[in-house]
Amino acid sequence: MNPAAAGKTYPATTFTVDPQRVAAFREIFEESEGVPATFVTVAEFAIMPQIVADQELGLDFSHVLHGNQEYEFRRPLQESETLQVRCRLGSIRALGRNALLVLVTELFEPGGEIVCTARSTLIERAAD
Amino acid sequence: MRTVRDVAAPSDLPALSRVVTPEAVKAYADAGGDQNPLHQDEAFARAAGFPGIIAHGMFTMGHLAACLSKWAGGPERIRCLTAQFRAPVFMGEEIVAGGRVKAVDTERGVAVIECWVTVERDGKTEWPIKRGEAEVLLDP
Repeated sequence: MNPAAAGKTYPATTFTVDPQRVAAFREIFEESEGVPATFVTVAEFAIMPQIVADQELGLDFSHVLHGNQEYEFRRPLQESETLQVRCRLGSIRALGRNALLVLVTELFEPGGEIVCTARSTLIERAAD
Repeated sequence: MRTVRDVAAPSDLPALSRVVTPEAVKAYADAGGDQNPLHQDEAFARAAGFPGIIAHGMFTMGHLAACLSKWAGGPERIRCLTAQFRAPVFMGEEIVAGGRVKAVDTERGVAVIECWVTVERDGKTEWPIKRGEAEVLLDP
């Protein structure tokens, strides 16, 4: 990974809180109502192809482990609503032979009001 | 719904356990969008140095969120949730989510909770999630 890519922001994309996927989450985690808190991961993965394809960053996704995850909600997600999602590279640093990448993903209303901020720390393991 | 008056600190949340199956992990990969072969392909997982496929960290965190949600009265009550993934979870293992109310912030109307997920492996307790933190909204 290229540490100089830290701070980079990717173009925002549209994200709809798809009721079918929400229902799948509820079934998997045996929740009876609402949008499970970790459903935000779907938005994070919606934007992931842009990050994986970014040659300036050079992330090797086949060697990635998930180190840490944070969610902070201003309000709960609503089923069927359409939000915008944008992602920036919060920080990139070496940890031994591995590298740590912090992705900051924000879900926001069309008017710009933040709904949820997600911080994900990915560990890129050194290739053997 | 729980209120700031009926939640004591410290107090324990009821533990929530489940057995992790390849079918549930595959369903999670499809619903969540993380198709990393580490979670589906035995040969890939072994080549990566694991004895077999491992659950997504987010699968384990989703289970922890369900434990909090059941206690709180719905997922919309969870205002913050942080987890550090400390140990892998293998297929067939039983994961147990738990938590403890550390403080009740009456001004903000939230319970501050330390939370975790454990698994018993070879006679030892492992911590797939240790020292997680959550803030859960309470009624006045």
